[in-house]
Amino acid sequence: MTRITTEKYRQQAAKGAADPVLRGALANLQNRFGRGTAECYRRLPEGPDLRKRAKRARQESIDHLDVLLERLAEKIRSRGGHVYFARKGKEAVEYCLAVCRRHGVRLAVKGKSMVTEEIGLNRSLSAAGIEAVETDLGEYIVQLAGESPSHIIAPAIHKTRKEIGRLFADRLGIAYSEDPPTLTRAARRALREKFLAADMGISGCNLACAETGHITTVSNEGNIRMASTLPKVHMVFMGMERIVARLEDHDMLFRLLARGAAAQNMAGYVSYIGGPRQPGDSDGPEAFHLVVLDNGRSKILADPEFREMLCCIRCAACLNVCPVYGRIGGHAYGYPYSGPVGAVVTPLLVGINRAKDLCSGETLCGACRHACPVDIDIPRMLLALRAKLADGDPRWGVKRTSLLEKAAFVLWSKLAGSSRLYALAMEAAALAQRLLPGNRQMIRRLPPPLAGWTQYRDLRPLAGKSFHKRWKTNDRSR
Amino acid sequence: MTAADEKIFLANVRRALGIDSPRRAPRLFAESPSAYSKRLLEKISRRTGEETRKLIHRLKEAAAPLNIDLHVASDIQTAAALITRIAADKSPEWADRKTVAAWRHPLIERLDLPAALDAPVFFSEPDPGLSGEEARRRMIEQIAKSFIGVTAADFCLADTATLVLRSRPGQARSVSLLPSIHVAIVEADRLLADLAELYALLSWDPEQKTEGLSTCLTLITGPSKTADIEATLVHGAHGPRELHLVVLEQNS
Ligand code: SF4
Repeated sequence: MTRITTEKYRQQAAKGAADPVLRGALANLQNRFGRGTAECYRRLPEGPDLRKRAKRARQESIDHLDVLLERLAEKIRSRGGHVYFARKGKEAVEYCLAVCRRHGVRLAVKGKSMVTEEIGLNRSLSAAGIEAVETDLGEYIVQLAGESPSHIIAPAIHKTRKEIGRLFADRLGIAYSEDPPTLTRAARRALREKFLAADMGISGCNLACAETGHITTVSNEGNIRMASTLPKVHMVFMGMERIVARLEDHDMLFRLLARGAAAQNMAGYVSYIGGPRQPGDSDGPEAFHLVVLDNGRSKILADPEFREMLCCIRCAACLNVCPVYGRIGGHAYGYPYSGPVGAVVTPLLVGINRAKDLCSGETLCGACRHACPVDIDIPRMLLALRAKLADGDPRWGVKRTSLLEKAAFVLWSKLAGSSRLYALAMEAAALAQRLLPGNRQMIRRLPPPLAGWTQYRDLRPLAGKSFHKRWKTNDRSR
Repeated sequence: MTAADEKIFLANVRRALGIDSPRRAPRLFAESPSAYSKRLLEKISRRTGEETRKLIHRLKEAAAPLNIDLHVASDIQTAAALITRIAADKSPEWADRKTVAAWRHPLIERLDLPAALDAPVFFSEPDPGLSGEEARRRMIEQIAKSFIGVTAADFCLADTATLVLRSRPGQARSVSLLPSIHVAIVEADRLLADLAELYALLSWDPEQKTEGLSTCLTLITGPSKTADIEATLVHGAHGPRELHLVVLEQNS
């Protein structure tokens, strides 16, 4: 399994927010991609409403997932490919290890895949003595540094060129350089050897096409093409929701994906792969395996409140506009999925209580919804998660997080419902606040459990006389 | 990993969807082209020379910002001369010697590369005398040493400057991938406007439909690139660092 540190969200977020280098890098990323994406949507011939149509196509596919997956499997098998349905991450990993044993795999090259991060595949492979090399440049950097990705599309966004220069000098034995082309060339050389020597290529799947029976891979670097073309075995991991019915739907979805992910009109390389090399084909792998993974997704599917989340195509557009992600970075979220998408998906996959701070961390500003190429209503689901945490939910096994908070809000609603009680409470509070540290203008520190409010800011004190009262006095004196 | 596991998996998906037994949903996969697809097919089949010239213009506009080197050749000799010049000007990246890898393809045969180039030309066919895996390995080694790979695109999408390549005997996927420079040639009547036209054609055109997407259909838009180091764009991450696109205009 992959390491889950969602419980430490607060500390991790504080650490990210305090890192000026990270904030600079994130600001740069958000300025470029966030704005570029919005501009791209505006220039679509069909206009931004295309996102609504794309969502309908995704929803229709999710509603027919059983039919689509059967069709995909049938088509791939008819070309001699293998399809394995894994309910748990562990099963997927074990299947992969069994295939590795059968083919005597010692070295595997990997294209970027969120699902393999989710199931912690790399650790299991290395425990089995198999070298698994990440080949997306960002992932490679992160792997060499012994870290984890902090963005879905730009995994090494948290690292500066200086850090990468030192890392490469250290690990690849090249002369120190902080020139991106030189560093890219060094990685190109090092990884090419791996591509040509590897026994297995591992990739994810962006969006399968049920009608034709193909998985798709998307990259700008060409690394996934290498991984799926050169080694004798190609192994694909796909979250079970990453499929649409018709080829026709791929038109709008790929156009939107490229715009959402990188403000491009079209990704550099898109491949449709339908199985192993066929008789007569010049190249391509001799064995092709597709692993379709549930790992908690069917539970999301079963809940109408969250089913919409399965429409996600993991483009990262929501990360590129999120004010919270832009301050704290991806590592804060404690799981491969970060940003707004992570704040909803992670709790649903690892446990809502276990990741309870993620949904409260987001601001509900709605920027993610406008950026999402498939118009997913993330803010609505963030609220739904908060509601579950407040009231508990046996179906998701959610325990109420804070009885005190709940009690406070019950009390508050009572007060707000009665002007007499409200006025009384305010007067009492105005008296009580004199006991707090600070001067007349500002309250510096509140006692626990309210201490969080004043950790980073001062609070204005309540006025001695309420507006209501002053209004009345003024009225009389007139 | 048995059929039983799969049944349980799918039954579980159905349960989540609130359905109790396997179902068919024929409406999901169209049996005949929609009105929209029909319109696109019509448009493609009626495309005039004038419209094709407009597509070439659109292609030029799309190619420039992507750093694609676009060449328009009026005949096959000009195209061959272009490739000869590229081969003479550029230096090899992975080997000391210049070698070129190419597809077996009618259009490329007409270029007569072995005669046109100073460098040896390797056609991407596995050696029939060797076993499947061994032959494939040797072939990939050859292609990996080449500094130029020459392919012929099935189609080219003008709006995004996207090449469409399918896998076939003699037409290895690695020719457009391993060499440092990818040269793709495409006939002007193979230009399409966009993805929608491509998908309509692959789904419904009687000639294209049989082959469909093949085992591997690749869409290529520009040379390989990355922006993973401080979001700075660099070409030649893993795939070709240069992409030359030669559009061959007919009978002019
Ligand atoms: S939620 Fe939307 S914007 Fe965010 S990754 Fe998923 S598809 Fe992209």
